[in-house]
Amino acid sequence: MKLLYYPGCTLKTSAKNLEKSAFAIMDALGHEMVEMEDWTCCGVASSLTDDDLMHHIAPLRNLIHVEDEGEDKIITLCDMCCNTLKQTNLRVKEKPDDLETLNSFMDQENDYNGTVKVIHFLEFLRDEVGFDVLKKKIKNPLRGMKIMSYYGCMLLRPREVSIDDAEEPTVMEELFTSIGAEVVDNPFKVECCGSYHTVEDKNLVSNRAYRITKFAVDRGSEAIVLSCPLCRFNLDVRGKEAEKLYNNYKQIPVYYYTQLIAVALGLDPKCCGFGDHAVDPVLLLKKKGVFEK
Amino acid sequence: MRKEYGYGKYDNVITALQFERLLSSFGPTEGKVSRPSDGKKPKSIGWIQCVGSRSEQLGFPYCSRVCCMYATKEASIAKEANPDIDITIYYMDIRAYGKDFQQYYDHAKDLGVKYIRGRPSSVYENPDESITIKYKDTLTGKIEESTVDMLVLSTAIMPNKDNKRLGEALGVDVDENGFFKQDSLLTDPIQSTRDGIFLAGCIQGPKDIPDSVSMASGAAAKAVAPIKDREKHIGKEFPPERDVTNEKPKIGVFVCHCGKNVANYLDVEKVTEDAKKLPNVEYADHMMFVCSEDSCKKIKEMIQEKGLNRIIVAACSPRTHGGLFQDTLMEAGLNKYLFEMANIRNHCSWVHSDDWNAATDKAIKLVSASVAKARHLESLTEEEFSIYPSTLIIGGGVSGMKAALALAKMGIKSIIIEKESKLGGRLRHLHSMFPSDMKSEEIIDPLIKEITKNKLITVMLDSELEDLEGYIGNYKGKIKQKEMKKEIEFGTIIVATGFREIDLKGKYQYGKNKNIVSQTELETKLKNNDLKKPKNVVFINCAGAMDEERPYCCRVGCGVSIKNAKLLSQKFPKAKTYLLYRDMRVFGKEEEEYYSDVLKNYHVITIRYPGDKKPEVVLDKNNPKDGPVTIKVYDDLLKEEMTIPADLVALTVNTEGGAETEKLKNMLKVPVDAAGFFIETHAKIKPLDFSTSGIYMCGAAHYPKNLVDSIAQAEGAASRASIPISQEKMKGEGIVSEVNEDLCRGCGTCESACAYSAIEMKPHPRDPTRLVAEVNRALCKGCGSCAAACLNSAIEQKGYKSKQINVMITALIEQGAAK
Amino acid sequence: MNKISDENVDVNALKLKKGDLVKEVEDLCGENLFGCYQCGTCSAGCPFVEDMDLSPDEVIRYVILDKKEVLNSKTIWLCAACYTCAERCPRDINITKIMEALRQIILRKNIDRTNLTDIPMEEKGSIPQLAFVCLFRKNVG
Ligand SMILES: Cc1cc2nc3c(=O)[nH]c(=O)nc-3n(C[C@H](O)[C@H](O)[C@H](O)COP(=O)(O)OP(=O)(O)OC[C@H]3O[C@@H](n4cnc5c(N)ncnc54)[C@H](O)[C@@H]3O)c2cc1C
Ligand code: SF4
Ligand code: SF4
Ligand code: SF4
Ligand code: SF4
Ligand code: SF4
Ligand code: SF4
Ligand code: SF4
Repeated sequence: MKLLYYPGCTLKTSAKNLEKSAFAIMDALGHEMVEMEDWTCCGVASSLTDDDLMHHIAPLRNLIHVEDEGEDKIITLCDMCCNTLKQTNLRVKEKPDDLETLNSFMDQENDYNGTVKVIHFLEFLRDEVGFDVLKKKIKNPLRGMKIMSYYGCMLLRPREVSIDDAEEPTVMEELFTSIGAEVVDNPFKVECCGSYHTVEDKNLVSNRAYRITKFAVDRGSEAIVLSCPLCRFNLDVRGKEAEKLYNNYKQIPVYYYTQLIAVALGLDPKCCGFGDHAVDPVLLLKKKGVFEK
Repeated sequence: MRKEYGYGKYDNVITALQFERLLSSFGPTEGKVSRPSDGKKPKSIGWIQCVGSRSEQLGFPYCSRVCCMYATKEASIAKEANPDIDITIYYMDIRAYGKDFQQYYDHAKDLGVKYIRGRPSSVYENPDESITIKYKDTLTGKIEESTVDMLVLSTAIMPNKDNKRLGEALGVDVDENGFFKQDSLLTDPIQSTRDGIFLAGCIQGPKDIPDSVSMASGAAAKAVAPIKDREKHIGKEFPPERDVTNEKPKIGVFVCHCGKNVANYLDVEKVTEDAKKLPNVEYADHMMFVCSEDSCKKIKEMIQEKGLNRIIVAACSPRTHGGLFQDTLMEAGLNKYLFEMANIRNHCSWVHSDDWNAATDKAIKLVSASVAKARHLESLTEEEFSIYPSTLIIGGGVSGMKAALALAKMGIKSIIIEKESKLGGRLRHLHSMFPSDMKSEEIIDPLIKEITKNKLITVMLDSELEDLEGYIGNYKGKIKQKEMKKEIEFGTIIVATGFREIDLKGKYQYGKNKNIVSQTELETKLKNNDLKKPKNVVFINCAGAMDEERPYCCRVGCGVSIKNAKLLSQKFPKAKTYLLYRDMRVFGKEEEEYYSDVLKNYHVITIRYPGDKKPEVVLDKNNPKDGPVTIKVYDDLLKEEMTIPADLVALTVNTEGGAETEKLKNMLKVPVDAAGFFIETHAKIKPLDFSTSGIYMCGAAHYPKNLVDSIAQAEGAASRASIPISQEKMKGEGIVSEVNEDLCRGCGTCESACAYSAIEMKPHPRDPTRLVAEVNRALCKGCGSCAAACLNSAIEQKGYKSKQINVMITALIEQGAAK
Repeated sequence: MNKISDENVDVNALKLKKGDLVKEVEDLCGENLFGCYQCGTCSAGCPFVEDMDLSPDEVIRYVILDKKEVLNSKTIWLCAACYTCAERCPRDINITKIMEALRQIILRKNIDRTNLTDIPMEEKGSIPQLAFVCLFRKNVG
């Protein structure tokens, strides 16, 4: 079965490693994932004012193109893209009048029929692959690794487009306990990482990274596992910078869930692009003996 | 349940109901407050209010009505027992709306319970399993984290999940939440949407015990109305009583195993054998279950066979089983007061379950004490008196009228006396009623019509009660109707005299400027179209409430102010409406929903002010009498002084009991509180009864309340008042007090000791120069207070005479000494 | 007491359409601010509240009271649209949308918050693209 995939701009630039490791996993699991043709930027931030339909055009266009390819499902890797596509999809479902306006506005495109389902890669692993199936293919269980999961905002909120319970999500907990790691509880796992403030106000975001990580570090967590490229940057890079703001604070390594799955599946670590991280991610894996096995 | 509060995830987050179990001496910890995670006593406890209530998302939109007070109760109990525990309650509004609620809340604060206004955002657990709460203290403006050892969630009251199915089966309508709907909320709150099916308590919405009990009584009245003409249940016929006066005591003792309840913990055989040895014991036996039919038959047989004339059952409690055994005696032709019970279960086997010998020993002592008393038991008679079959209703407001109609439906006559020249009470001055905005005429006019048509109801307008004598069943009242005086007779009395707004004595410049009015005046103006278009309207709540002089909350004020804010906004859509409040006490289902609806649809600006910084009304220097005014108010949430120009100010004035309360209090000999509201026997068990038999109360005379609660109470009071009347004849207690007139020195101590007004000082029958106490056997409840109070031992309580008690004590001591 | 120190925007010059700020906001976001119980849940859970001059519940109160200086508050720019407040508000008020409405009132008058040329470029390569797009979407009209 062919599965259509929507990358978005970040996956092609600063988050290539997320994309590569995801493709490697799909290969190992025997699924064929194909990048959709003719995609454009999703617009990133979903429109929040009622009168603003303009900003729904970009996401809608991508949904139309999925329909054009004869598919009814699109997988995303970036949390922001997923959220934006889902919100637009929801809006046009709830307000058919808006869909009509948008359709007539985009006269070069086909009309959108509302048939596309947007899913996040995590949802795909959970609902269509199944963690029990994944578990059977694990070669290097992450035994002995204590991690904290981090969801941030866009996977969970608004509730209508959440991939899990918006306050008490468990998908990453289930995933990682099934492949051998121990997950440390962290109530800050659903708190915002500081998002785009990273551009203009580094310290603000460093503070966020500190606050989010510290709780789990105090409880023994050795690594952060997350899914969004912007969260990765903020917790990894700005988190590292937080070391200068807080005495005796040492930032722990940050992984995409796809990277750790790839390692656990025993895939070539090259697909993980560990070189792009601020805090060395390889050291811990070696220390825990995950790599040697 | 909202997941951000960690219920189900963290051990030390529990619900208020679970906490209630911790406090209970029958609960898992026998009343000790301890943490679920490690059983240790917590050093601090937090409560979060409105969990799932007042929530438009992930919960229910309504207020659960009881949780503010139960949290306050739980916190107070925990704090009183453990002053070292730090206790904090996180709330949005504390709904201390009911009678004495505000005082209870103030008391909790005095005990050291902390109240923080702010709804926490989330909680997390620490390594020591304590819970950290994140919240904004909205009164200081600070974002805080605070850590408690244990967190209690005051969770929403939900209707039973099966209500929908039950509703379908009964053919009545159920609302979107699962509560049963009323046919007409404001006129018939007890009636479901189907004839013959009535609602009581929380089936219709969250309610506390007093309101539920009142409503239940009302429902009972409604339920008997259609079947009132059926043949009355006639009591059991008993054979004629054997006169035992001249017989020497022949005592029968029956010892009960209560299955294993008694027999497993003490030696019933030995108790029986020892009993046999006691003087005057003619017969003793032990049985598996004395209360079983076979055993009772056996008792009757032994009474006949052995000529027994005193019976002792050594078993459980007379409270639960005394009546059954007394019936057994009567069936065997013995006076029921020749019976005595020794409680060897609740008082012995249960509490001494770990010591067989001591328990056996104690049971023997208890039985011998009973035997000692039994020798002195006498036959007692119960006075029978007739009941005059009609009810006097004082006050012709909605409550009085509803009570009269409910009585009429049960076929009982009533007389309404109303001091004004029209029926209708306060509603005559009001415009319309929340929460369904029905015009007040639409409520009272049909009622008045129905009353006038009804032959069982007599209405006396411009009338007042001048004098009252008699007792339950047999009252005589003098009524003054304008210049005329009339004497009428009745069997029971319902007090429905309502309430009035207090005199503000010039506070808030009331009375000095014509644009400053009370809510009642505002409604009258609205009703008569007597308002000129205002630009800025300011409502000030709690005027004269919850302060030193009047520590109580007026219960209806918040709802009223919201209703009137809506009325004004509808009439004058351009006007800006400000509502100055201290705590928004729109409790329960309908009021909360009404409130949020008004806020949203009419853009009412609410401003919370602190109790110690009351809003100030400043008059215009040039035109103090008619000109616009300025309101200065301290916004408790933004923490800044605000100045609002206003051309209309409506004061939500606190209320108090009717003007005639003092006079009525003396005539009826019933208690009244400092605010002029009548005091019920027991707030929870008997919310509609006075401690004096035959007198009941309802509506705002009891405490301010809205129409729905008033009507429920009125129908409840009618139900209570109908009970003696439908019995036609009433039997008094056999155990009553008796005065020895020769010993009595007329000091009156007993008169004031009696809570039931059963004693009156009367001239001595043979020596009219001196007063002696006289007991009214119809009113005496046999409580014994008088006997304990009398210094001359001139008054004695039958069945518990000094001699009877003394021999019991002696027996207990002798048995002890014999060991 | 004035907590707002910024004076970037000349509030009077904005010439709000309908006079009342609250009407303008409600039209833009479709939320009914008057449903707010001022419970503070939104503020307690906001990850940026410590840096804000007005907490989110105060923003709502300012709008209701027609205190237009709210448009000069740092808060509306600090809000990163994380939806935590909207998720937890017991009254189902979407504060996230209210914040956006307040930003839009300013941005739609062509007053930008961020000057594109001021963005430090040294990290351009490493900061994920979506951060930039997002920033422009929030701060530039
Ligand atoms: C400003 C205001 C607005 C309100 N608005 C609402 C509303 O919108 N919705 C709602 O549900 N409730 C409302 N209420 C509450 C409502 O008024 C009461 O629930 C209702 O009036 C109670 O009825 P009642 O018969 O108990 O008392 P009342 O209406 O006070 O009637 C008592 C009657 O007894 C008579 N009386 C008193 N003493 C004697 C005596 N010694 N002898 C003979 N007669 C006597 C009085 O003259 C009066 O006619 C409001 C109350 C106020 C003050
Ligand atoms: S305000 Fe209402 S729902 Fe909230 S705790 Fe108090 S009684 Fe319960
Ligand atoms: S009489 Fe009382 S003690 Fe005896 S069996 Fe009955 S309940 Fe139990
Ligand atoms: S207005 Fe009345 S009901 Fe409301 S809080 Fe004040 S005293 Fe209580
Ligand atoms: S026994 Fe109780 S009720 Fe009877 S007269 Fe004495 S005090 Fe009053
Ligand atoms: S207390 Fe005793 S002495 Fe005094 S009046 Fe009563 S019965 Fe008589
Ligand atoms: S959480 Fe909602 S109700 Fe509470 S203060 Fe914020 S906006 Fe108002
Ligand atoms: S959406 Fe904005 S205001 Fe709300 S919690 Fe997130 S950052 Fe704070």
